[in-house]
Amino acid sequence: MSIRMSFKKISKILLYAFFITIALLWLLPIGSSILLSFKTINDYMNQTFWQLPTKFNFVANIEYAWNSANIGTFILNSIVYATVGAIVAIIIASLAAFSIVRLKLKGRNSLFGLIFIGTMFPFQMFLIPLYIMYLSTGLYNTKIGLILFYIAICIPFATFVFRGFFISVPKELHEAAKLDGCSDLGVYAKIFMPMSLPAISVVFLFQFTWVWNDLLFGMTLSTSNSVRPVMVGLAQLSGENLTNVPGLIAGAWIASLPTIIVFILLRRYFSQGLVLHVAG
Amino acid sequence: MKNWIKIVSPYLYVLPALAMVTIFLLWPALDTGFISFTSYNLLTPPRFIGISNYIRLFEDPFILNSFLNTLWWTILTIILSVGLGLLFAVGVNRLKFAGFFKFVFYIPLTLSAVVIGVLWVWIYQSNGLVNTILNEIGLGGWSQTWLLNVPINTFCMIIAWVWATAGQNMVLFLIGLQTLPTEVIEAADLDGANAWQRFWHVTFPLLTPMTTVAVTMSLINSLNQFNIIYVMTGGGPYRSSETLAVSMYRESFTMMKFGYGAAIAVVLTIIVFVTSWIYMRHNFKRERDVY
Repeated sequence: MSIRMSFKKISKILLYAFFITIALLWLLPIGSSILLSFKTINDYMNQTFWQLPTKFNFVANIEYAWNSANIGTFILNSIVYATVGAIVAIIIASLAAFSIVRLKLKGRNSLFGLIFIGTMFPFQMFLIPLYIMYLSTGLYNTKIGLILFYIAICIPFATFVFRGFFISVPKELHEAAKLDGCSDLGVYAKIFMPMSLPAISVVFLFQFTWVWNDLLFGMTLSTSNSVRPVMVGLAQLSGENLTNVPGLIAGAWIASLPTIIVFILLRRYFSQGLVLHVAG
Repeated sequence: MKNWIKIVSPYLYVLPALAMVTIFLLWPALDTGFISFTSYNLLTPPRFIGISNYIRLFEDPFILNSFLNTLWWTILTIILSVGLGLLFAVGVNRLKFAGFFKFVFYIPLTLSAVVIGVLWVWIYQSNGLVNTILNEIGLGGWSQTWLLNVPINTFCMIIAWVWATAGQNMVLFLIGLQTLPTEVIEAADLDGANAWQRFWHVTFPLLTPMTTVAVTMSLINSLNQFNIIYVMTGGGPYRSSETLAVSMYRESFTMMKFGYGAAIAVVLTIIVFVTSWIYMRHNFKRERDVY
């Protein structure tokens, strides 16, 4: 018995040692890069990564990233893209899902299939025709062009989530409201949408984050700094082989702030959405 | 008249969604298929050349190398990221401060692939974290320019990606663990099964649905791997660390060979569809056999 006990104790200690080591390894890139964003270029060149900065240079680094490196413009662009993209997609997709689930629509399953198939392709399948289309229609390198694409790419997953959510709403609710003289659009706006906060949150969390993190389409469909989204700007900056590494890392962290905040606010919808994301 | 409106109006709700998806996703996907049979550089109209792009693709040593890299990405991410995710999920609940450990593994999920790339470029730099630590513990001989040496640069990027995604798999397995019937595990415990036996013969088989989800997700994401490579090595040096997705971008938008780029995109799509279909079919069959 006592042998078994001590064996258990040892394995417990090993378990802790293992997980503490792994957790430290996981924290190392984050902790050391945050520390780096407080340092001057001089400290960065002459210190090892765990040493504390001799001079707190955080504000100057942020200033460098925001102004000289243009991250400020990129961030403001992306705030528009991600917010408008996600919200308009939520409206368009919830209307479609409402009709597919609740209105008597012939061929509703094939319509849903058609909308949903959009997410199945690797993104490389969209790039060339979009690029050509954008060049020939004048959408290339415009904010409206990027917004239109971001709305479109958000729609399939959003429709999928809203369809699943609306199916669980009892039919009787809709019928009762119609007896009271409510139109279909009224039922959608006054009954279905106010109930859909969980669905809206899941879609907003995933699609805001998706648009914010996009590199590929932003890079392909735009070329000037005044239009390009934040991740394209950051990738550009990191490719320039610059000397101000603390400034670059500070820029990377402020570029991450919006998604970190959205994650914290909507964190309980994350695991739900993750499962849906793959199920779809 | 009234009746007519009644029939049409439900379709008006679907129309915006359908139009957006058709214009920006479905039509481009189809068009890429057409372009892959042409030679096209944007300056002159596309010229139909049959399957020449596809034939060239199979003889192109750069594409072969990209294919092998894509394979490494896929296999190693599935083993390491899903494996670690499972390990974290199973282990973390036996610890005090489980919430703290979960939080730590969860942090990278809030960062974009570009940010992860930027951080890890710095980590692998000649005066970066890895080399500093190696020097410090007396293994200075091992220090090198990690992202410039082939084939180690691909594996370095895979490690960065595992760091970034293991937490996501942990979240999936934690959801899976919550739904497990505790009686079965307790019964196995009473039957004298040790921790490893309980895990291997009871917990892990019961987690199969979540394993399918996690593996499918890793499979698709790593077959399409682009962002982190673009930021960390740009596919270099000498195209050595490209994956198919990076090669497609390079052939199309750097070399302006749109027909050839489209052909790579089509091949990549076929690979993604076929592998995920085979994997899921195999697994659903196995699930049916279990129950």
